[in-house]
Amino acid sequence: MAQEQATANSPTHDQAPSLLQINGLVQRFGGLTAVDGVDLDIRKGQIYSVIGPNGAGKTTVFNVITGIYKPSAGQILFDGTQVAGMKPDQIVRRGITRTFQNIRLFNNMTVLENVLVGQHTRLPGDVVSALFRLPNYRRAERRAEQRAIELLGFFGQGMIERKDEYAANLSYAERRRVEIARALGSSPKLMLLDEPTAGMNDAETADAVQYIQRLRREFNLTILLIEHKLQVTMGISDRIAVLDYGKKIAEGVPAEIQRNERVIEAYLGRKAAVE
Amino acid sequence: MATQTPSKAASSWTAGIRRGTDGIRRWLNETMLAGRPLIWYVTGWRFAVIALVVAILLPLVPTSAYSDIQSLLVAMISVFVYIMLALGLNIVVGYAGLLDLGYVAFFVIGSYTMAAGTYGSINDFAGKLHDLPTLPFILLIPIGAFIAGIFGILLGAPTLRLRGDYLAIVTLGFGEIVPVVFANIPIFFGQTGISATQPAPITTPVGIISFTDPFNHAPFYYLALAVAVLVTLGCYALRSSSIGRAWVAIREDETAAEASGVNLTRTKLLAFALGAFVGGIGGVINTAAFPSITPLGFSFAISITVLIMVVLGGIGSIPGVIIGALVLRLFDVFLLQRINDPVHQSFLVAPVNAPLHVLANVDFNTLKLLIYGIVLVAMILLRPQGLIPDARRRRELKGVGAAPEGVSAVGAFEQEEAGMSAATTADVLDPSEYTGAGSDAQGREG
Ligand SMILES: Nc1ncnc2c1ncn2[C@@H]1O[C@H](COP(=O)(O)OP(=O)(O)O)[C@@H](O)[C@H]1O
Ligand SMILES: [Mg+2]
Repeated sequence: MAQEQATANSPTHDQAPSLLQINGLVQRFGGLTAVDGVDLDIRKGQIYSVIGPNGAGKTTVFNVITGIYKPSAGQILFDGTQVAGMKPDQIVRRGITRTFQNIRLFNNMTVLENVLVGQHTRLPGDVVSALFRLPNYRRAERRAEQRAIELLGFFGQGMIERKDEYAANLSYAERRRVEIARALGSSPKLMLLDEPTAGMNDAETADAVQYIQRLRREFNLTILLIEHKLQVTMGISDRIAVLDYGKKIAEGVPAEIQRNERVIEAYLGRKAAVE
Repeated sequence: MATQTPSKAASSWTAGIRRGTDGIRRWLNETMLAGRPLIWYVTGWRFAVIALVVAILLPLVPTSAYSDIQSLLVAMISVFVYIMLALGLNIVVGYAGLLDLGYVAFFVIGSYTMAAGTYGSINDFAGKLHDLPTLPFILLIPIGAFIAGIFGILLGAPTLRLRGDYLAIVTLGFGEIVPVVFANIPIFFGQTGISATQPAPITTPVGIISFTDPFNHAPFYYLALAVAVLVTLGCYALRSSSIGRAWVAIREDETAAEASGVNLTRTKLLAFALGAFVGGIGGVINTAAFPSITPLGFSFAISITVLIMVVLGGIGSIPGVIIGALVLRLFDVFLLQRINDPVHQSFLVAPVNAPLHVLANVDFNTLKLLIYGIVLVAMILLRPQGLIPDARRRRELKGVGAAPEGVSAVGAFEQEEAGMSAATTADVLDPSEYTGAGSDAQGREG
């Protein structure tokens, strides 16, 4: 694993073109300013982490990027187009996908059905196709099913064997995997992962670190990651931004972040020190 | 209608009902037909095939013009219409999870499309009569469906942000308003109502087929059956399509569905539009079969009856909803009268002090909604997933009051949703039975 991290880290994609550019992002909830003038610049191919104490506004940034909230102010440029204010499904169509901190699967659908919903934007959605099962519709459905199985296969044969299980019956780690497989269905360019190792033991976490790196490689993804476990973020990130009380207090490569006074004070100081 | 914990007293009667339903299942299991238990025949796709075969053969039973078979055929036309309505409402309530208490509105719109499209004239607002070209019945089916579908979107669009109770209230209002609008505009003759011209006879190689022969209801029966089967097939196709998956997804978790690329607005509007579309078809067929309509004959009771059919059969389950509509509508238009008359006659001749003599004064027709209410409450307490539950709904309800495994009478049906379902559809709906006029008269006499 150490070697893999080293190769992943060596080009930090600093010279690659911007994929997601966030300028002066503000999100208010009534009197609370959850995100307060945040700028981020994520380059194609990066694994970019956002860290910060609980309540710092990290998930809110994700929710704004994915269109759950309209930002109170600021710009979100994805691949050069302004996506702030678009509906979530339009943003998915443009190539941004995500997972949730608290895993939001469709519990009473099977694993396969969950992953098929993830491909919704790539399937014909008109009533006539659905009602009359026209050949192109049937072909698209068959392809979607094959693709869903391939996506599950990313996590090994074991996940393929679980395809007809209801999502509610899966283990925690399996649920995380299905959520990622579902998120891959829209053929994204950028994947937002909100604490993908939360609640996992050490072995599962190590496994998750591996597949996050494989995601970038095999699907040509850029990854924006919220992660609490510093041994994870420090190991796999090309760049890290630190949020505290809605403001970005630091940004840089992992080594810089580990040394940054304000970060140690605001974040690391309040938690266990980095090893 | 919240699920309540049954009290001690309730639990004794619920236990009684469970024993009864358990008995039915045992009977199905123990009664053999051609070497198989009866229950084998009423499970999964076999049920669909058998139901369809029975439905096709029913009019072929040798019959005289005045026999019960002919009135059963009329009742079945009504059953077919209600199967359509229940399947249509099931798209909205069962698939998309949106509670619609005003579904009758689309039935009205379909009915008026059929009537206005065949009547030949309309009023203007000054009350002056104008000729209106008439259209063939077969064209009016899609026209009525499309007009109803458009109204489905018009109702759906402003209510999309509403959920649960709020949505229910707005749809309820819509269901009340539409008939009142028809009652108050002179175009279609206001409260007087309007009569459709029934479908013209068609000439075939085997002879002329008339849809209006009072001594032979089989042609219209088959027509309504065919439309009901088409609607059923459409519902199966939708359910297993990407649209069907999107409906389940938004029912389960709207945020996750959106984040997966599902357009909430479009998906919900599609459910409203398709549900309304089917309701419109039901209206056209019903008015073609039973051509006199009055606007105030379309009451809230119809919305509720269709909803009870869906709940009784199993929300989201196509075979369940068909069974729900069959049972309730057949009870309503066929059995009730056949219970009512003998009871009255036998008690009218009995001495006044005979036990149960009071039944002579009871009109079971007026108790219909009460009976439905009891059925609904009993279902919610005993078997909230319905008679033939949808697999997914059963999971959603698990632990929320579902009967313990192996206790429910119909447990063996639970393979459910295997294949095509068969069935029947159509309806009658004599508007006068909903106006309350009948029961008033009854009350005064008593
Ligand atoms: N929808 C909302 N309405 C009101 N307050 C919110 C909402 N979402 C988040 N918040 C608040 O915004 C702040 C940031 O929350 P969040 O982004 O979830 O933090 P993090 O993910 O960094 O732990 C918290 O104080 C939280 O309570
Ligand atoms: Mg968070």
